Amino acid sequence: MDSARSRADYADARFVRTRSERLSTRNGALDELDSYEGEGIGVRVRVGGAWGFAAVRGSARPDAEAALARALQVAAAQPPAHLALPLAPEPPALGTWESAAARDPFDVSLADKLAVLLAADSGLRTDRGIAVALAGFQALRVEKVFASTEGALCEQHLTECGGGIAAVAVNGDESQVRSFPASHGGHVAQGGYEHFTALDLPGEAPRVAAEAVALLSAPACPPGRTTLVLAGEQLGLQVHESVGHAVELDRVLGREASYAGTSFVPADGIGSLRFGSELVNVTADATNPGGLGSYRWDDEGVEGRPVAIVRDGVLAGFLSSRETAAEIGLERSGGCMRAEGFARQPIVRMTNVNLEPGAAGTLEDLIADTGDGLLIETNRSWSIDNKRLHFQFEGEAAWEIRDGRRGRLLRNPSYAGLTPEFWASCDAVCSASEWSLISLLDCGKGEPGQLMRVSHGSAPARFRDVEVGVA
Amino acid sequence: MTALELAERAVGHAEPGALAQVVRERSLLLRFAAGRPTQATAVDDVTVELAVIRRGHVGRAETNATDDESLVSCARRAAAAAASAAAAGDGVYPGFPARSEAPSFDGGHDAATAALDPGQGGAALGAAFEVAAEAGLEAHGIWTAAEVEHAVMAGGAALTERTTDAYMKVICIGRDGGRSGYAARTAVGAAELDPRGLAARAAAKALRSGEPAELAPGEYPVVFESHGVGTLLDLLGFSAFNGLAHAEGRGALSDRLGAKVAAPAVNLSDSPRFARTLPRAFDAEGTPKAPLPLIQDGVAHRVVHDVRSAALAGAASTGHALAPGGAPYGPHPTNLVLAGGGAANEDELCASVERGIYVTRLWYGNVVRPKETLVTAVTRDGTFLIEDGQVTRPLHDLRLTDSVLAILSAVEALTASLQLTSEGEFYGRRFATGVACPALRAAAVRFTGPAG
Repeated sequence: MDSARSRADYADARFVRTRSERLSTRNGALDELDSYEGEGIGVRVRVGGAWGFAAVRGSARPDAEAALARALQVAAAQPPAHLALPLAPEPPALGTWESAAARDPFDVSLADKLAVLLAADSGLRTDRGIAVALAGFQALRVEKVFASTEGALCEQHLTECGGGIAAVAVNGDESQVRSFPASHGGHVAQGGYEHFTALDLPGEAPRVAAEAVALLSAPACPPGRTTLVLAGEQLGLQVHESVGHAVELDRVLGREASYAGTSFVPADGIGSLRFGSELVNVTADATNPGGLGSYRWDDEGVEGRPVAIVRDGVLAGFLSSRETAAEIGLERSGGCMRAEGFARQPIVRMTNVNLEPGAAGTLEDLIADTGDGLLIETNRSWSIDNKRLHFQFEGEAAWEIRDGRRGRLLRNPSYAGLTPEFWASCDAVCSASEWSLISLLDCGKGEPGQLMRVSHGSAPARFRDVEVGVA
Repeated sequence: MTALELAERAVGHAEPGALAQVVRERSLLLRFAAGRPTQATAVDDVTVELAVIRRGHVGRAETNATDDESLVSCARRAAAAAASAAAAGDGVYPGFPARSEAPSFDGGHDAATAALDPGQGGAALGAAFEVAAEAGLEAHGIWTAAEVEHAVMAGGAALTERTTDAYMKVICIGRDGGRSGYAARTAVGAAELDPRGLAARAAAKALRSGEPAELAPGEYPVVFESHGVGTLLDLLGFSAFNGLAHAEGRGALSDRLGAKVAAPAVNLSDSPRFARTLPRAFDAEGTPKAPLPLIQDGVAHRVVHDVRSAALAGAASTGHALAPGGAPYGPHPTNLVLAGGGAANEDELCASVERGIYVTRLWYGNVVRPKETLVTAVTRDGTFLIEDGQVTRPLHDLRLTDSVLAILSAVEALTASLQLTSEGEFYGRRFATGVACPALRAAAVRFTGPAG
């Protein structure tokens, strides 16, 4: 940063060292056993309003100097940016922080991890209708040092761990999948090996397999309009796609129009835009223990904190950066700048975007109170338009709710809706005792692409008059 | 040090029979929004991957450090991974490909593009901004170029290739946030991108006059531009041509090879040497790539394999491994080419449509039920109503939910010319791919609701 101070209006540098491990089994044999160790420096400069970013592997001073020189060259080559507002002010980030992990997942032997996965894999294959049994483990450690020309110098160590199982059943032209505790890679948390063992994948495997096979002959989700109860991963993904992405301030300001899209949410909507019913309260909170969106400082040195996004159904805030916050006159960034590794520049991302609990009791209380409807927990497919308005989701399985009781299993459940209408139809959210975090491991955004890992907290919620059976 | 020299060093630190794959990326990507630059990313990084086989299991380890100590550590991790897996019993992996020589393809590298001149990118942005501003619009998009050096060393085989790729997309949007138009180009060389031409085409779509119409959900005849066709075919690659899914009985073509799955006009192949694709000579396991017919005259012929899926299926690898030992999600066709037909252009495709939909591109596509090739996606940046054989006015965007094979079965006509299409997504280590395809007309495509 000493070299950068005289050559750029602003500059920051991140040294990132990453270590990861992935193990998975498939039908009783090794599917993948892979590890990665890498490190490098990403330097970001702002010159006359234009950003330049360059990343090089290594950690030596010449590596950093090379990245700085390239970043300056790239920034200088672009057309004038015209708009060059000062960044929202932020005190320099100073100090160190480490996420909690009782047992280091990298200290556990590969044999021990494989034994858990093979036991789960075996449990999935107790049913002869299963064509593919999958069990997976993953661990990630990220060590990063951030420095800026404004005097920031902070260091963070993050450890993540988790896994999941899935069973694919096939019969002729019909194929069905069931996953636990979530699809798309399972459930990963910021924590140690204790999180993985607590999932009890071997214990859940027989049930998962039985449900996959049962789906082959289950009736299809009928089309129509009904009451929908969402829980677990599917509710988390609903929050992610229709709330989290919609309130990313770079999208709102049109910066992501060419790829991720824009947003139906206007930049001046705080305090006036009705996002949902009065039961809908959403908070972006980078301080949740165990969340994959948890940290002390974001990747431009802003301290993470809870940010109100929706209060009593009305828009209350955005996910923002120092640049975007300044552009709409916010006093301070929301601390949402994150980058995947050292070779990508930070962009506005979700922290842990959570639906706050309500007062509807447990999931069973909610079902009992529902009368007739549909319950969906696990996601299979998702898609939403570039304004985050019209969405369509498919679940792995649904349960019919009849006379306040969980009834038949239904295959191929899907639903569609319009974001503000859907959230306005929310008339119950379960209580705090039902609230938990789920993880999403592959949130794509940015060019070049960045996969971010985020968590969402929620308790089961109910939505009235939803279109189902659309796919 | 070249990628091949680094692969040789890495494999020298590993036990006999190991495979080393090295990918070095040098890339530059400039983003812009509302007629000004917003982000610029330059990357210079390398990935060294070592793979070791024990009792039919493959253990892998990767690093981006190139000193001897790091390479030795990487080799130890790969060996430990394979040994741990072997302790649990025998696996199915038969071994890395035998010594082979990959053919060298001409046309996959452009020296000028490899220079990664930020001035060339800056000039491209400037040209797009100018054209958009002249039309009273704002330009959004990216310009990017890269050189990737790839080497695989295993069993005495030493394969290497340098490739370049370039991509630019321009989305023009009115300053009031109104209608938008899209144009994009993918090429081996950045000089082929034609920023002014892209911006002009995008602007013309955004400026198409008329009050946007709304269509109710239902089935309609559709003319897809090549960008929309490319998205559908890429999704089909995951659900129909994945040899691992096929071998496990969950693929869309399981028990259907040799059967009619599309209209007779549909001829789809994976053609790594095709002139208008991004040529690649070998895959992540060092298997040489060769043209592979997937659908011929509407009949399903082949699926793609890596070594592992081939072993499960009793077949041979077709050179489509995405990782040594096979990626967990299986092999994937990365050079899809759909043969053209006889139509001169999109206007000719529209000429016989009484009332239908013109789709420039599809976005946020996702596979819903892979065995049915059922996918969903939304139209974006240039959706129009076709009436009495002509595009008449803009259309509010729609959600498509249909089987890709059903759409291909409804194909009535294709343009003669092909375009290399791509989403320009570069997640992880850069691996540029594209689908070369024509525009086409399908008699009936299912739309399930509004979008945008």
